Amino acid sequence: MVSKMRDFKFVDSSKEMDKEQIRESLTYWKDVWRRLKGNVVAVIGLIGVILVILFGVVGPMLSPYYFSDQITDFAYLTPTLDVFQITNVDDGDSENYFVHLNNDYRLLLISEDGHVLERLIYTGRDRANFIYFYDYEGEEIAVDYSKRTDDEYTGDIDYTITFRGEETLYPTKTVWNKTFLLGSDHLGRDILCRLMYGARISLTVAFVAATVNLLIGVAYGSISGFKGGTIDNLMMRIVDIINSIPLVIYVILLMVLLDKSNMWTIIIALGSVYWVGMARLVRGQILSLKDLEFVLAARTLGVSQGKIITKHLIPNAIGPILVSLTMMIPTAIFTEAFLSFIGIGMSAPAASWGTMANEAISLLEKYPYQLMLPSLAIGITVLSFNFLGDGLRSALDPRLRKG
Amino acid sequence: MAKILEVKHLVTSFFTHLGEVQAVRDISFSLEKGDILGIVGESGSGKSVTSLSVIGLVDDPGEIVSGAVLFEGEDLTKLSDRELNKYRGDEISMIFQDPMTSINPVYTIGNQIIEVIRAHSDMNHLEAKARAIELLDLVGIPEPVTRLKSYPHEFSGGMRQRVLIAMALSNNPKLLIADEPTTALDVTIQAQILDLMRNLQAKMGASIIFITHDLGVIAEICNKVIVMYGGKIMEKADIMSLYEKPQHPYTQGLMQSVPKPETGQKKRLVPIVGSPPDLLKPPSGCPFSPRCKYAMEVCLKESAPLYKISSTQFASCWLHDKEAPVVEGFVKCEPVLDEEAEVIL
Amino acid sequence: MKNYYVKRILSAIVTLFIIATMTFFMMKLMPGGPFARERPISAELLEVLEEKYNLNDPIFVQYYKYMIGIVQLDFGNSYKELGVDVTEQIFLKFPISLRLGLYATILVILIGLPIGIISALKQNTWVDHAAMLVATVGVTIPSFVMAVVYISLVAGTLGWVDAFGLDKWTSYIGPVIALSTYSLSFTSRLTRSSMLEVLRQDYMRTARANGLSKFKVLYKHALKNALIPVVTYLGPMFAAIITGSFVVEQVFAIGGIGRYYVDSVSNRDYTMIMGITMFYAAIYIFMVLLVDVAYSWIDPRIRLGKNSGE
Repeated sequence: MVSKMRDFKFVDSSKEMDKEQIRESLTYWKDVWRRLKGNVVAVIGLIGVILVILFGVVGPMLSPYYFSDQITDFAYLTPTLDVFQITNVDDGDSENYFVHLNNDYRLLLISEDGHVLERLIYTGRDRANFIYFYDYEGEEIAVDYSKRTDDEYTGDIDYTITFRGEETLYPTKTVWNKTFLLGSDHLGRDILCRLMYGARISLTVAFVAATVNLLIGVAYGSISGFKGGTIDNLMMRIVDIINSIPLVIYVILLMVLLDKSNMWTIIIALGSVYWVGMARLVRGQILSLKDLEFVLAARTLGVSQGKIITKHLIPNAIGPILVSLTMMIPTAIFTEAFLSFIGIGMSAPAASWGTMANEAISLLEKYPYQLMLPSLAIGITVLSFNFLGDGLRSALDPRLRKG
Repeated sequence: MAKILEVKHLVTSFFTHLGEVQAVRDISFSLEKGDILGIVGESGSGKSVTSLSVIGLVDDPGEIVSGAVLFEGEDLTKLSDRELNKYRGDEISMIFQDPMTSINPVYTIGNQIIEVIRAHSDMNHLEAKARAIELLDLVGIPEPVTRLKSYPHEFSGGMRQRVLIAMALSNNPKLLIADEPTTALDVTIQAQILDLMRNLQAKMGASIIFITHDLGVIAEICNKVIVMYGGKIMEKADIMSLYEKPQHPYTQGLMQSVPKPETGQKKRLVPIVGSPPDLLKPPSGCPFSPRCKYAMEVCLKESAPLYKISSTQFASCWLHDKEAPVVEGFVKCEPVLDEEAEVIL
Repeated sequence: MKNYYVKRILSAIVTLFIIATMTFFMMKLMPGGPFARERPISAELLEVLEEKYNLNDPIFVQYYKYMIGIVQLDFGNSYKELGVDVTEQIFLKFPISLRLGLYATILVILIGLPIGIISALKQNTWVDHAAMLVATVGVTIPSFVMAVVYISLVAGTLGWVDAFGLDKWTSYIGPVIALSTYSLSFTSRLTRSSMLEVLRQDYMRTARANGLSKFKVLYKHALKNALIPVVTYLGPMFAAIITGSFVVEQVFAIGGIGRYYVDSVSNRDYTMIMGITMFYAAIYIFMVLLVDVAYSWIDPRIRLGKNSGE
């Protein structure tokens, strides 16, 4: 039998052999941030939120327009323009010019790179042949839209442009609308600019209303939870009664009551009602925290009730409060848009996304982009905040804590 | 005597995103009919995972890597979950640590007990109901007929554990695995439950595996003991030998850290310094060596084989080797080469 | 158990009472008076109207008459459209909205629940991730965006269905989808997380250790527990569908009560606003009550009071 060479010498016990498992300790917030970073969806949300904020804060400063500036001649223009070339430098003209016909049969003069220059005046029509005539610098441009109106026609010609005897059947090219990057609305206002101002409105309403709700909710909830007993019962009964019908209805009624439709009335309406969720949450947290020993310790030391609440209890409840706050914001944004959409939010000419959507509803068939763009703006913003809020909620969940 | 359970070289690991956590690292033991085997160890020693491996309830990301679990000759590790279900609740039963959360709160206990009975027998509802009443009576629940219609939250912790025991015993299992059944209960209830288990075992002739970290409980009802540490077996012995002359430094350490009122002398409690090993990167060699005051160089490098102290006591420690220095309290003996033939425990 | 139900019903009645009172006083506070119009009304007509609408009585008498009226389901007449009875209008327009709401609810239950359950069972597989991504988007997209997208895509570009009105059965598809999207997505997320929570519970381990079949373990033991929070959601879901109907009916040009409410608000038709508000409040409270009853059936701990053990 081959015996292995084994060393039966006693180990020097002065050697440091059993190092206790020490890993770098993570503070609560470092851990939260670490988990948040790892959550792809939450990071996307965070980026989205930052972009929207930049869009709303910096955007309007970069825009050449004001949200109420209107150029009625340039109304109803899409973000991309199909243009037909009418003058050519190669043929001796001074510049290359193009024309674009919009869905209301306005003919506009477009520059080579997509700027909208002017509206060409309509001079007459040939009913039988479905031709409209326009004037360009004294010369006649004919727009033949017969194929468009012909039900039997199966080809792909939409309308043709005839200028100086030459008929062009198809658009020369498609350009980005450089004058109105996302198109113009029914009054000739730049949609991109209005979206940016809309972002301002949405974000302002959301943040201010959320802050108001936060303050009221935390104060109400912590007092109720801390006092306990009959006071708590009473306060929670009130909350229950308020909560017994959908909160939106209150907001609607309040808006009708306040009768002025501007940002501040909306904030007041939202702020008077949505705090109940936060209050209940905070109360729950306080209830579970107030019997813990560190509170008892504080009370034994003679710390005043107010200080106990503000310095000890609330900071420990920050997690759920933060999540709730993050979720209040998209709710507020959505509610404001919703109110404006049904007509009792911001009123014209204010550029709330909701009002933009409202004004665009009737134009859905002809100009869907006017409705799509504000809807997308709302959707993306709310989505981003929700992703972020979801991520925060997972990151703050103590059960998932490692290390 | 027939061996009802034979666990051979069981290896169970959890494949987490941090790596492979080796919870059970080559464990072998066996049970004969009527045995009450205690498995003792700290948290992380692998005792719970061992029992879960026997009954096949090791969940993702864990799995039995290798080894065999022979129940009456049949290797359970080779069976599908469905096939295992025929054994579970019928021939092999298991009860767990926390009775407060172990019963489904939305159904009556009668409903749940009858369900287990009918799952493994041909009884109709009325027959199963009668059996359920019988069982509740057996475990000492007063007014069993009315209590059948009660919901779990209407019972106290001790009562719930009895209900769980009733469920586990409903089909006369040959093997009952109890994973720390009394840890969550207070001491007086604990004594009652242990009494109950002892009586039932005698009546029904079942074999029991009793897992705990409490040496006192082991002394109460077990006839054989396995001491686990760091996923391996440190010592296995019959109960008297283990308590009278433990042959492993860890076991000795455990004995010394528990107060014994019988000795009558005033002795200092000696805790075992240090903490359990990290099973993600388990040390080569004996898992206890970093904390062992008798550690030798060989201990750090190689795990000791089982040394046969007697036909009913085995310890995995190099101190028993003839070439090792003599230490008082550690008998010199031969290592076990062929586990199949020699090991009775 | 009876105690619980009686308490809830009384609570509901008290709440309704308080809301009725609130709406009454709000109405009184409305600026501009009820009869302010673009074309001023003659003095005699004004007097007659004020008499008819009890506006000359002291406020508490008005309140009393108002409350009596409510109990008899008489909400008075519209302020704007003279001679039009509020209650009548409500009962005329409500069935349309009810139908849409019911279809939406059915969709939510039939699709939302299974998706949530399957996602939980196949946690972290692509099925789970895909379903939850869709659900997250569904929760965040406002109903009018959904409605708009549907119209421009399905009705507009693809031309498969009519965009507006409820003439053909196909016209129901759009509104029902727009109405149910949010709730469906929320329900599937809720069901999933609830199911995941339940699957981790100790009693699930007990069931498996007792050798019960996978099927039984899932459908009997897991499901009932998992559905508890979902049932609780049904209350807020009705709220979501009610408020969703405001937008959806407007976009799809459906003559339901939601649209009528919005129109009344725009027109400042105060009696109509109050009447419909009370109506909504009553329905909502009733639904919540029903849900509470259902909830107590499922969870015996609620029914019998927690910790009734020795």
